[in-house]
Amino acid sequence: MPAPRLRSRSLRKVFRKVPGNRVSLQYKRRKHKAARCGSCGNVLHGAPRALPFQMKSLPKTKRRPERPYGGVLCSRCMRQEIVNKIRQ
Amino acid sequence: MTIEIGRLCIKIAGRDAGKKAVIIDVLDDKFVVLDGQTRRRKVNVFHIEPLNQVIKIEKNASHGDVANALKELGIETRQTKPKQKTERPKPKRKTPEQLRVQKEEKRKLRDIFRPKKKEEKIGEKKESTLEAKAGLMEEKKEEINPSEAEIKEKKAKPAEKKEEKPKAKKAVGEKE
Repeated sequence: MPAPRLRSRSLRKVFRKVPGNRVSLQYKRRKHKAARCGSCGNVLHGAPRALPFQMKSLPKTKRRPERPYGGVLCSRCMRQEIVNKIRQ
Repeated sequence: MTIEIGRLCIKIAGRDAGKKAVIIDVLDDKFVVLDGQTRRRKVNVFHIEPLNQVIKIEKNASHGDVANALKELGIETRQTKPKQKTERPKPKRKTPEQLRVQKEEKRKLRDIFRPKKKEEKIGEKKESTLEAKAGLMEEKKEEINPSEAEIKEKKAKPAEKKEEKPKAKKAVGEKE
């Protein structure tokens, strides 16, 4: 019987093959939802679906696209934003 | 707004998005060459938003000319410093004179640290030497005796004499 804190489903179960050639059950945090565009709500490309501590270990250039509003707006919305600013 | 040489525009795609630049060259109906705040590069027409202003600029003008023209409009362009070639200092072999100097310095350093080590060692040595000497002496005796015995054995080949001699020695030792 797993420990009471592991019986809630806030943690996910991961089956890992360990060096002793047996399969062990490990409990891991659930993945966060994918990053989404701030204006249209589409899933963003180039923003990995990782936990905060995993993101921290990544280089900054791999956390989001290297353009204005990268990781906040999708490229289409970003273009629209810039064009709107110019035309005002 | 037509796309022509000297037309100011803003880039709307990629890492240079939102930066102003001038069209320097029109390659065909799809591609132009930009320079200004952006890097000097070939760009798809769909990735730029043309502005109202047009500057008088020659085809394929240098970055300096573009920068001067944009400065009049109050637009500061990127300025990249040319990379200075810095050669690594090659490791050279030391001349004999330099080696001598190096050795002398090392000796000086040794002299500084010697006396302390000596004092420590002397104390240790005295203790160790006495014990070691006692041990060594015994060992030496032990070592010497068999060797001598062997030599004697070699000299005196007959087997009977071998047995006699150690017996005689032992007898001498007991008497003493």
